[in-house]
Amino acid sequence: MSGERAGAAGQPGRERPEAGGRGEGSGAAGRAPGASALMLATGIAKRPVVTLGGEAVAQVRDIVFDSGGGHIVGFTLSGRRRLSGPMKRSLPWEGVYALGHDAVMIENEDALEDPGEVVERTEAKGGDVLESRVLTDGGKDVGKIVDVVVQAGTTADVVGYEIEPGDARGRHPRTAFLPRAETISVSGQALVIPALATEFMADDLPGFEAQVRAFRDRMRKGAD
Amino acid sequence: MLFSELTGRPVMTVAEAKRAGVVDGFVVDPARATVVALRLQKTPDSKRNLLSLSRIRAIGPDAVMVPDAESLRTAEEALAEQAELAGKGLDLPDKPVLTERGEETGTVDDAHFDPETGALHALVTTEGEIPGRAMIGLGTYAVVVRAGSESHPVTP
Repeated sequence: MSGERAGAAGQPGRERPEAGGRGEGSGAAGRAPGASALMLATGIAKRPVVTLGGEAVAQVRDIVFDSGGGHIVGFTLSGRRRLSGPMKRSLPWEGVYALGHDAVMIENEDALEDPGEVVERTEAKGGDVLESRVLTDGGKDVGKIVDVVVQAGTTADVVGYEIEPGDARGRHPRTAFLPRAETISVSGQALVIPALATEFMADDLPGFEAQVRAFRDRMRKGAD
Repeated sequence: MLFSELTGRPVMTVAEAKRAGVVDGFVVDPARATVVALRLQKTPDSKRNLLSLSRIRAIGPDAVMVPDAESLRTAEEALAEQAELAGKGLDLPDKPVLTERGEETGTVDDAHFDPETGALHALVTTEGEIPGRAMIGLGTYAVVVRAGSESHPVTP
């Protein structure tokens, strides 16, 4: 044994009490393992774009929808510093490895490309439905779109809208979720949906997933 | 062995019985799930602060023994020697853990590794343990792990 004492760190103890307590309660609230794959479009903005190598290369600036507003075709990006402006490059959906609640994953930086590709599609009408009024085909005003609900998998489909009710007499209008129907018409002014969709509304996202499924089943049966 | 057990342990030379530094961090190759070097502080030359695992004579309870101070490397030398990432900011502790699906699952608290081979057995995160082999990437922003690997309960 050497004569020099190694100080406090010298003991071969199995436990170091200070190592255990550190992370407790810090951000561990987390999501349940089977959490909903649904997410709100506004929440995707500012999400970091991270490579599988663990580097954050950008953050999402805007979501680009296809012309029918049915799915995401890509993202415009900005730099990760607080005051960074728009980036010269964008991220087409084909380059997305996974769209998660905490990050947009890409394999590596090759997934980014010149913005022309994605932005050309931005200009398409109907992609941006925020603030649009929603009317049923029966002529009833359902409310105003305040957010878009996206289901992320191999594609990122718009499955519904978060609606602020039109007859908001209360001071705190509660929003609700309305499934998206294939048979809609969209203009810059309004979105017309089948009245049936209003029977499948939900108060929260977890409940909404089942409603979306039920609504789609119903529409399929109706089509037969 | 846990990272936290080895952190702070002095590094001594066998040749001169002098202190060559103190263990401060771990350089991990995520692709092989292996610790390839120890990062030291208080080294005689502050730039030569990396100690490859292969250069270690013994990891004893009171000190890490190396042949001599020449065993320490700069980041560039370590890189040339074994083509491993020895860059800054790639330390595991306190790093957020992201699954490949883009879901965050805690931050790294500690890690279990084999001091002989460097094999990284498990990451100890705030939300449980993750097998080392589930690691896909380790960058300045996050550790990326395979989806489905994140639900291992903490073993005492």
